[in-house]
Amino acid sequence: MIRTIVGLVIVLALSAIVISSVSDYSVPSELIGAGLNYTEQGVDDTGSVNLVTAVVVAYRGLDTLGEVVVLFSASTAVVLILTLIPIGANPTPPSSIVAFTAGILPGAIVLFGIYVITHGHLSPGGGFPGGAVVASAFLLVMLGSNTIPGKTKFLTSIESLAGLTFGLLGFWGMLTLGQFLNNLVLPAGSPGRILSAGIIPLISLAIGAKVASELSGVFASYRKAGGEE
Amino acid sequence: MTAETMFYWSLAATALGLVVIGIWGVLTRKNILRIALAFTLADTGVNLILVWSGFLPNRAAPIIDSSVTTVVDPLPQALVLTSIVIGVAVAALFVVVGVLASRKSGSADVRRMKELRW
Amino acid sequence: MNMTLLAAASMGTGIMMLVAAVAALVVKKLISAIIIVGFVSLSASVLFLLMDAPDVAITEASIGAAISTVIFLWGRGKIGGQE
Repeated sequence: MIRTIVGLVIVLALSAIVISSVSDYSVPSELIGAGLNYTEQGVDDTGSVNLVTAVVVAYRGLDTLGEVVVLFSASTAVVLILTLIPIGANPTPPSSIVAFTAGILPGAIVLFGIYVITHGHLSPGGGFPGGAVVASAFLLVMLGSNTIPGKTKFLTSIESLAGLTFGLLGFWGMLTLGQFLNNLVLPAGSPGRILSAGIIPLISLAIGAKVASELSGVFASYRKAGGEE
Repeated sequence: MTAETMFYWSLAATALGLVVIGIWGVLTRKNILRIALAFTLADTGVNLILVWSGFLPNRAAPIIDSSVTTVVDPLPQALVLTSIVIGVAVAALFVVVGVLASRKSGSADVRRMKELRW
Repeated sequence: MNMTLLAAASMGTGIMMLVAAVAALVVKKLISAIIIVGFVSLSASVLFLLMDAPDVAITEASIGAAISTVIFLWGRGKIGGQE
Protein backbone atom coordinates (compact mmCIF):
# COMPACT_ATOMS: atom_id res chain seq x y z
CA MET A 1 0.00 0.00 0.00
CA ILE A 2 2.72 2.47 0.99
CA ARG A 3 4.58 1.44 -2.16
CA THR A 4 1.57 2.28 -4.35
CA ILE A 5 1.17 5.72 -2.78
CA VAL A 6 4.88 6.58 -3.02
CA GLY A 7 4.91 5.45 -6.66
CA LEU A 8 1.83 7.56 -7.39
CA VAL A 9 3.43 10.63 -5.79
CA ILE A 10 6.62 10.16 -7.80
CA VAL A 11 4.85 9.82 -11.15
CA LEU A 12 2.51 12.75 -10.41
CA ALA A 13 5.51 14.96 -9.61
CA LEU A 14 7.16 13.78 -12.84
CA SER A 15 4.11 14.54 -14.95
CA ALA A 16 3.72 17.95 -13.27
CA ILE A 17 7.30 18.81 -14.28
CA VAL A 18 6.69 17.69 -17.88
CA ILE A 19 3.36 19.52 -18.16
CA SER A 20 4.81 22.76 -16.76
CA SER A 21 7.66 22.58 -19.27
CA VAL A 22 5.31 22.39 -22.26
CA SER A 23 2.64 24.79 -20.94
CA ASP A 24 3.71 27.64 -23.24
CA TYR A 25 3.73 25.53 -26.39
CA SER A 26 1.30 26.20 -29.20
CA VAL A 27 0.43 24.12 -32.24
CA PRO A 28 3.33 24.55 -34.69
CA SER A 29 2.68 25.45 -38.29
CA GLU A 30 6.18 25.62 -39.77
CA LEU A 31 9.12 23.24 -39.78
CA ILE A 32 12.42 24.49 -38.41
CA GLY A 33 16.03 23.32 -38.35
CA ALA A 34 17.13 19.95 -39.64
CA GLY A 35 13.61 18.81 -40.54
CA LEU A 36 13.12 21.78 -42.88
CA ASN A 37 16.48 21.08 -44.49
CA TYR A 38 15.68 17.41 -45.03
CA THR A 39 12.24 18.06 -46.54
CA GLU A 40 13.56 20.73 -48.91
CA GLN A 41 16.68 18.97 -50.16
CA GLY A 42 16.13 15.31 -49.33
CA VAL A 43 14.98 14.18 -52.77
CA ASP A 44 17.74 16.12 -54.55
CA ASP A 45 20.42 14.90 -52.13
CA THR A 46 19.56 11.21 -51.99
CA GLY A 47 17.10 10.44 -54.78
CA SER A 48 14.80 8.73 -52.28
CA VAL A 49 11.12 9.73 -52.40
CA ASN A 50 10.45 8.43 -48.87
CA LEU A 51 12.22 10.92 -46.62
CA VAL A 52 12.16 8.65 -43.56
CA THR A 53 14.24 6.06 -45.37
CA ALA A 54 16.49 8.83 -46.66
CA VAL A 55 17.14 9.98 -43.09
CA VAL A 56 17.59 6.45 -41.71
CA VAL A 57 19.96 5.22 -44.40
CA ALA A 58 21.65 8.28 -45.93
CA TYR A 59 21.69 11.27 -43.59
CA ARG A 60 21.94 9.29 -40.35
CA GLY A 61 23.51 6.15 -41.78
CA LEU A 62 26.26 6.02 -39.17
CA ASP A 63 23.67 6.20 -36.36
CA THR A 64 21.80 3.31 -38.00
CA LEU A 65 25.03 1.28 -38.09
CA GLY A 66 25.37 1.93 -34.35
CA GLU A 67 21.75 0.91 -33.70
CA VAL A 68 22.28 -2.30 -35.67
CA VAL A 69 25.24 -3.00 -33.37
CA VAL A 70 23.02 -2.44 -30.31
CA LEU A 71 20.43 -4.82 -31.74
CA PHE A 72 23.16 -7.36 -32.46
CA SER A 73 24.53 -7.24 -28.92
CA ALA A 74 21.07 -7.55 -27.35
CA SER A 75 20.13 -10.56 -29.47
CA THR A 76 23.56 -12.12 -28.88
CA ALA A 77 23.05 -11.73 -25.13
CA VAL A 78 19.65 -13.47 -25.34
CA VAL A 79 21.04 -16.38 -27.37
CA LEU A 80 24.12 -16.65 -25.15
CA ILE A 81 22.13 -16.76 -21.90
CA LEU A 82 19.68 -19.30 -23.30
CA THR A 83 22.40 -21.64 -24.65
CA LEU A 84 24.73 -21.40 -21.64
CA ILE A 85 22.00 -22.23 -19.14
CA PRO A 86 19.53 -24.73 -20.65
CA ILE A 87 16.11 -24.42 -19.05
CA GLY A 88 14.74 -27.63 -20.56
CA ALA A 89 12.83 -28.35 -23.75
CA ASN A 90 9.19 -29.40 -23.95
CA PRO A 91 7.49 -27.84 -27.00
CA THR A 92 3.74 -28.26 -26.77
CA PRO A 93 2.10 -29.45 -30.03
CA PRO A 94 0.09 -26.67 -31.76
CA SER A 95 -3.67 -26.80 -32.17
CA SER A 96 -4.99 -27.77 -35.61
CA ILE A 97 -6.07 -24.17 -36.38
CA VAL A 98 -2.57 -22.81 -35.76
CA ALA A 99 -0.96 -25.68 -37.68
CA PHE A 100 -3.24 -25.14 -40.70
CA THR A 101 -2.71 -21.35 -40.74
CA ALA A 102 1.04 -21.78 -40.35
CA GLY A 103 0.97 -23.95 -43.46
CA ILE A 104 -0.51 -21.38 -45.83
CA LEU A 105 0.22 -17.87 -44.53
CA PRO A 106 4.04 -17.62 -44.15
CA GLY A 107 4.74 -17.52 -47.90
CA ALA A 108 2.48 -14.52 -48.38
CA ILE A 109 3.93 -12.81 -45.29
CA VAL A 110 7.52 -13.29 -46.52
CA LEU A 111 6.51 -11.92 -49.94
CA PHE A 112 4.97 -8.84 -48.30
CA GLY A 113 8.08 -8.39 -46.16
CA ILE A 114 10.35 -8.51 -49.20
CA TYR A 115 8.10 -5.96 -50.93
CA VAL A 116 8.30 -3.66 -47.90
CA ILE A 117 12.11 -3.98 -47.81
CA THR A 118 12.77 -3.43 -51.51
CA HIS A 119 10.32 -0.51 -51.89
CA GLY A 120 11.63 1.30 -48.82
CA HIS A 121 12.73 4.33 -50.83
CA LEU A 122 9.38 4.66 -52.66
CA SER A 123 6.63 3.86 -50.16
CA PRO A 124 6.34 3.42 -46.37
CA GLY A 125 8.74 0.73 -45.27
CA GLY A 126 12.43 -0.06 -45.42
CA GLY A 127 14.80 -2.41 -43.68
CA PHE A 128 13.47 -2.29 -40.12
CA PRO A 129 9.70 -2.83 -40.76
CA GLY A 130 10.32 -5.36 -43.54
CA GLY A 131 12.76 -7.34 -41.44
CA ALA A 132 10.23 -7.47 -38.59
CA VAL A 133 7.51 -8.70 -40.98
CA VAL A 134 9.77 -11.47 -42.33
CA ALA A 135 10.73 -12.45 -38.79
CA SER A 136 7.04 -12.74 -37.82
CA ALA A 137 6.59 -15.21 -40.71
CA PHE A 138 9.42 -17.33 -39.28
CA LEU A 139 7.73 -17.04 -35.89
CA LEU A 140 4.47 -18.38 -37.36
CA VAL A 141 6.32 -21.34 -38.90
CA MET A 142 7.90 -22.09 -35.54
CA LEU A 143 4.57 -21.83 -33.71
CA GLY A 144 2.94 -24.22 -36.18
CA SER A 145 5.47 -27.04 -35.80
CA ASN A 146 6.22 -29.16 -32.77
CA THR A 147 9.85 -29.88 -33.57
CA ILE A 148 12.87 -28.24 -32.01
CA PRO A 149 15.01 -26.25 -34.49
CA GLY A 150 18.45 -27.72 -35.11
CA LYS A 151 21.61 -25.78 -35.82
CA THR A 152 21.03 -22.13 -36.78
CA LYS A 153 24.29 -21.68 -38.70
CA PHE A 154 22.31 -20.51 -41.74
CA LEU A 155 20.78 -17.59 -39.82
CA THR A 156 24.16 -16.69 -38.32
CA SER A 157 25.83 -16.58 -41.72
CA ILE A 158 23.06 -14.42 -43.21
CA GLU A 159 23.41 -12.06 -40.27
CA SER A 160 27.20 -11.80 -40.62
CA LEU A 161 26.94 -11.34 -44.39
CA ALA A 162 24.40 -8.52 -43.97
CA GLY A 163 26.54 -6.73 -41.40
CA LEU A 164 29.59 -7.11 -43.64
CA THR A 165 27.63 -5.71 -46.62
CA PHE A 166 26.61 -2.65 -44.59
CA GLY A 167 30.21 -1.97 -43.54
CA LEU A 168 31.71 -2.58 -46.99
CA LEU A 169 29.17 -0.25 -48.67
CA GLY A 170 30.20 2.38 -46.14
CA PHE A 171 33.89 1.91 -46.94
CA TRP A 172 33.13 2.02 -50.67
CA GLY A 173 31.91 5.58 -50.24
CA MET A 174 34.98 6.35 -48.14
CA LEU A 175 37.37 5.16 -50.84
CA THR A 176 35.71 6.74 -53.88
CA LEU A 177 34.10 9.93 -52.55
CA GLY A 178 35.99 10.44 -49.29
CA GLN A 179 32.93 10.07 -47.02
CA PHE A 180 31.81 7.06 -45.00
CA LEU A 181 28.41 5.72 -46.20
CA ASN A 182 28.16 8.30 -48.99
CA ASN A 183 24.91 7.55 -50.77
CA LEU A 184 25.89 8.60 -54.28
CA VAL A 185 28.56 6.05 -55.14
CA LEU A 186 25.81 4.62 -57.33
CA PRO A 187 23.83 7.08 -59.49
CA ALA A 188 20.77 8.64 -57.85
CA GLY A 189 18.66 7.97 -60.94
CA SER A 190 15.23 9.50 -61.36
CA PRO A 191 13.27 9.63 -58.06
CA GLY A 192 10.31 7.28 -58.06
CA ARG A 193 11.89 4.41 -59.99
CA ILE A 194 12.72 1.18 -58.21
CA LEU A 195 16.37 1.31 -59.32
CA SER A 196 17.19 4.76 -57.98
CA ALA A 197 18.40 6.47 -54.82
CA GLY A 198 22.02 5.27 -54.93
CA ILE A 199 22.87 2.57 -52.40
CA ILE A 200 19.69 3.01 -50.31
CA PRO A 201 17.99 -0.18 -51.68
CA LEU A 202 21.15 -2.22 -51.04
CA ILE A 203 21.50 -0.97 -47.46
CA SER A 204 17.77 -1.52 -46.87
CA LEU A 205 18.25 -5.10 -48.02
CA ALA A 206 21.19 -5.54 -45.62
CA ILE A 207 19.29 -4.04 -42.67
CA GLY A 208 16.22 -6.15 -43.47
CA ALA A 209 18.24 -9.38 -43.66
CA LYS A 210 20.01 -8.52 -40.42
CA VAL A 211 16.86 -7.67 -38.45
CA ALA A 212 14.99 -10.72 -39.77
CA SER A 213 17.83 -13.16 -39.03
CA GLU A 214 18.51 -11.72 -35.57
CA LEU A 215 14.87 -11.88 -34.45
CA SER A 216 14.51 -15.37 -35.96
CA GLY A 217 17.63 -16.49 -34.12
CA VAL A 218 16.15 -15.21 -30.86
CA PHE A 219 12.94 -17.17 -31.52
CA ALA A 220 14.88 -20.31 -32.44
CA SER A 221 16.81 -20.18 -29.17
CA TYR A 222 13.56 -19.56 -27.26
CA ARG A 223 12.14 -22.64 -28.90
CA LYS A 224 15.16 -24.70 -27.92
CA ALA A 225 14.76 -23.59 -24.33
CA GLY A 226 11.11 -24.61 -24.11
CA GLY A 227 7.57 -24.23 -25.47
CA GLU A 228 5.83 -20.89 -26.04
CA GLU A 229 2.48 -22.08 -24.57
CA MET B 1 -10.60 25.48 -28.35
CA THR B 2 -10.50 24.42 -31.96
CA ALA B 3 -10.65 20.86 -33.18
CA GLU B 4 -7.06 21.12 -34.38
CA THR B 5 -5.79 22.07 -30.90
CA MET B 6 -7.76 19.24 -29.33
CA PHE B 7 -6.37 16.76 -31.87
CA TYR B 8 -2.79 17.92 -31.27
CA TRP B 9 -2.92 17.90 -27.47
CA SER B 10 -4.93 14.69 -27.08
CA LEU B 11 -2.08 12.85 -28.84
CA ALA B 12 0.44 14.37 -26.40
CA ALA B 13 -1.77 13.57 -23.40
CA THR B 14 -2.08 9.93 -24.45
CA ALA B 15 1.68 9.59 -24.87
CA LEU B 16 2.47 11.23 -21.53
CA GLY B 17 -0.22 9.16 -19.83
CA LEU B 18 1.33 5.94 -21.14
CA VAL B 19 4.78 6.95 -19.87
CA VAL B 20 3.37 7.84 -16.43
CA ILE B 21 1.37 4.60 -16.16
CA GLY B 22 4.40 2.58 -17.28
CA ILE B 23 6.74 4.17 -14.71
CA TRP B 24 4.11 3.69 -12.00
CA GLY B 25 3.87 0.03 -12.93
CA VAL B 26 7.65 -0.43 -12.84
CA LEU B 27 7.75 1.15 -9.39
CA THR B 28 4.83 -0.67 -7.79
CA ARG B 29 4.28 -4.08 -9.42
CA LYS B 30 5.79 -7.22 -7.90
CA ASN B 31 5.76 -9.89 -10.62
CA ILE B 32 8.90 -9.64 -12.76
CA LEU B 33 6.98 -10.16 -16.03
CA ARG B 34 4.43 -7.53 -14.99
CA ILE B 35 7.33 -5.11 -14.55
CA ALA B 36 8.58 -6.01 -18.05
CA LEU B 37 5.07 -5.30 -19.42
CA ALA B 38 5.00 -1.90 -17.69
CA PHE B 39 8.43 -1.17 -19.17
CA THR B 40 7.05 -1.95 -22.64
CA LEU B 41 4.13 0.43 -22.05
CA ALA B 42 6.51 3.25 -21.07
CA ASP B 43 8.61 2.47 -24.14
CA THR B 44 5.55 2.82 -26.40
CA GLY B 45 4.70 6.13 -24.73
CA VAL B 46 8.20 7.52 -25.28
CA ASN B 47 8.04 6.54 -28.95
CA LEU B 48 4.67 8.32 -29.26
CA ILE B 49 6.12 11.48 -27.66
CA LEU B 50 9.08 11.46 -30.06
CA VAL B 51 6.89 11.12 -33.14
CA TRP B 52 4.51 13.77 -31.77
CA SER B 53 7.40 16.22 -31.40
CA GLY B 54 7.84 16.24 -35.18
CA PHE B 55 4.13 16.27 -35.99
CA LEU B 56 2.33 19.22 -37.58
CA PRO B 57 -1.43 19.07 -38.19
CA ASN B 58 -2.77 19.51 -41.72
CA ARG B 59 0.32 18.13 -43.41
CA ALA B 60 1.11 14.94 -45.31
CA ALA B 61 3.32 11.97 -44.52
CA PRO B 62 6.99 12.55 -45.45
CA ILE B 63 6.86 10.92 -48.89
CA ILE B 64 7.53 13.59 -51.49
CA ASP B 65 5.44 13.51 -54.63
CA SER B 66 4.68 16.04 -57.33
CA SER B 67 1.42 16.88 -55.53
CA VAL B 68 2.80 16.79 -51.98
CA THR B 69 5.17 19.51 -50.83
CA THR B 70 4.26 20.30 -47.20
CA VAL B 71 5.12 17.31 -45.02
CA VAL B 72 5.75 16.57 -41.32
CA ASP B 73 9.26 16.32 -39.86
CA PRO B 74 10.86 13.01 -40.97
CA LEU B 75 13.72 13.04 -38.44
CA PRO B 76 11.85 11.87 -35.27
CA GLN B 77 10.08 9.18 -37.30
CA ALA B 78 13.43 7.82 -38.48
CA LEU B 79 14.73 7.73 -34.90
CA VAL B 80 11.60 5.98 -33.60
CA LEU B 81 11.79 3.40 -36.39
CA THR B 82 15.08 2.10 -35.00
CA SER B 83 13.99 2.65 -31.41
CA ILE B 84 11.02 0.26 -31.74
CA VAL B 85 13.18 -2.59 -33.05
CA ILE B 86 15.75 -2.04 -30.30
CA GLY B 87 12.93 -1.87 -27.74
CA VAL B 88 11.74 -5.36 -28.62
CA ALA B 89 15.30 -6.72 -28.41
CA VAL B 90 15.71 -5.16 -24.96
CA ALA B 91 12.32 -6.55 -23.89
CA ALA B 92 13.43 -10.03 -25.03
CA LEU B 93 16.59 -9.71 -22.92
CA PHE B 94 14.50 -8.44 -19.97
CA VAL B 95 12.19 -11.47 -20.17
CA VAL B 96 15.08 -13.96 -20.41
CA VAL B 97 16.91 -12.47 -17.43
CA GLY B 98 13.64 -12.31 -15.49
CA VAL B 99 12.88 -15.97 -16.22
CA LEU B 100 16.37 -16.99 -15.08
CA ALA B 101 16.10 -14.90 -11.91
CA SER B 102 12.70 -16.39 -11.07
CA ARG B 103 14.09 -19.90 -11.65
CA LYS B 104 16.99 -19.14 -9.33
CA SER B 105 14.93 -17.73 -6.48
CA GLY B 106 11.99 -20.09 -7.00
CA SER B 107 9.45 -17.30 -7.43
CA ALA B 108 8.55 -14.56 -9.91
CA ASP B 109 8.08 -12.13 -7.02
CA VAL B 110 10.78 -9.44 -7.04
CA ARG B 111 10.63 -9.18 -3.24
CA ARG B 112 11.95 -12.74 -3.07
CA MET B 113 14.96 -12.04 -5.31
CA LYS B 114 17.73 -11.33 -2.84
CA GLU B 115 20.22 -10.42 -5.59
CA LEU B 116 18.12 -7.42 -6.53
CA ARG B 117 18.08 -5.94 -3.01
CA TRP B 118 19.94 -2.75 -2.31
CA MET C 1 -9.75 14.34 -43.56
CA ASN C 2 -12.08 16.39 -41.43
CA MET C 3 -10.29 17.81 -38.38
CA THR C 4 -13.22 17.17 -36.01
CA LEU C 5 -13.26 13.54 -37.06
CA LEU C 6 -9.50 13.30 -36.48
CA ALA C 7 -9.83 14.85 -33.03
CA ALA C 8 -12.61 12.41 -32.11
CA ALA C 9 -10.58 9.46 -33.40
CA SER C 10 -7.43 10.42 -31.53
CA MET C 11 -9.28 11.16 -28.28
CA GLY C 12 -11.25 7.92 -28.45
CA THR C 13 -8.17 5.83 -29.18
CA GLY C 14 -6.20 7.66 -26.49
CA ILE C 15 -8.78 7.15 -23.74
CA MET C 16 -9.12 3.49 -24.72
CA MET C 17 -5.34 3.06 -24.58
CA LEU C 18 -4.98 4.68 -21.15
CA VAL C 19 -7.81 2.60 -19.68
CA ALA C 20 -6.28 -0.55 -21.19
CA ALA C 21 -2.82 0.35 -19.87
CA VAL C 22 -4.13 0.72 -16.31
CA ALA C 23 -6.10 -2.51 -16.72
CA ALA C 24 -2.96 -4.36 -17.86
CA LEU C 25 -1.24 -3.43 -14.61
CA VAL C 26 -4.08 -4.17 -12.18
CA VAL C 27 -5.78 -7.19 -13.80
CA LYS C 28 -5.31 -10.45 -11.89
CA LYS C 29 -4.25 -12.92 -14.59
CA LEU C 30 -0.91 -12.42 -16.29
CA ILE C 31 -2.11 -13.77 -19.63
CA SER C 32 -4.85 -11.13 -19.79
CA ALA C 33 -2.27 -8.45 -19.06
CA ILE C 34 -0.08 -9.68 -21.92
CA ILE C 35 -2.97 -9.62 -24.41
CA ILE C 36 -4.02 -6.15 -23.23
CA VAL C 37 -0.49 -4.80 -23.73
CA GLY C 38 -0.59 -6.21 -27.28
CA PHE C 39 -3.85 -4.30 -27.79
CA VAL C 40 -2.23 -1.09 -26.51
CA SER C 41 0.60 -1.53 -29.02
CA LEU C 42 -1.89 -2.02 -31.84
CA SER C 43 -3.75 1.17 -30.82
CA ALA C 44 -0.40 2.98 -30.70
CA SER C 45 0.12 2.05 -34.33
CA VAL C 46 -3.26 3.70 -35.11
CA LEU C 47 -2.01 6.86 -33.38
CA PHE C 48 1.22 6.72 -35.40
CA LEU C 49 -0.90 6.58 -38.54
CA LEU C 50 -2.91 9.61 -37.38
CA MET C 51 0.40 11.42 -36.83
CA ASP C 52 1.36 10.86 -40.51
CA ALA C 53 4.01 8.25 -39.72
CA PRO C 54 3.11 5.20 -41.85
CA ASP C 55 6.61 3.67 -41.61
CA VAL C 56 6.47 3.70 -37.82
CA ALA C 57 2.90 2.36 -37.88
CA ILE C 58 3.93 -0.72 -39.91
CA THR C 59 6.83 -1.41 -37.57
CA GLU C 60 4.79 -0.98 -34.41
CA ALA C 61 1.97 -3.20 -35.73
CA SER C 62 4.24 -6.10 -36.66
CA ILE C 63 6.53 -5.85 -33.64
CA GLY C 64 4.30 -4.61 -30.83
CA ALA C 65 1.29 -6.74 -31.63
CA ALA C 66 2.96 -9.95 -32.83
CA ILE C 67 6.57 -10.38 -31.78
CA SER C 68 6.65 -8.89 -28.28
CA THR C 69 3.36 -10.58 -27.33
CA VAL C 70 4.87 -13.97 -28.18
CA ILE C 71 8.04 -13.13 -26.22
CA PHE C 72 5.98 -12.38 -23.11
CA LEU C 73 3.82 -15.48 -23.58
CA TRP C 74 7.02 -17.56 -23.69
CA GLY C 75 8.19 -15.93 -20.46
CA ARG C 76 4.85 -16.64 -18.80
CA GLY C 77 5.16 -20.29 -19.77
CA LYS C 78 8.66 -20.48 -18.30
CA ILE C 79 7.94 -18.91 -14.90
CA GLY C 80 5.37 -21.60 -14.30
CA GLY C 81 2.14 -19.61 -14.48
CA GLN C 82 2.63 -17.61 -11.28
CA GLU C 83 0.33 -14.62 -11.34
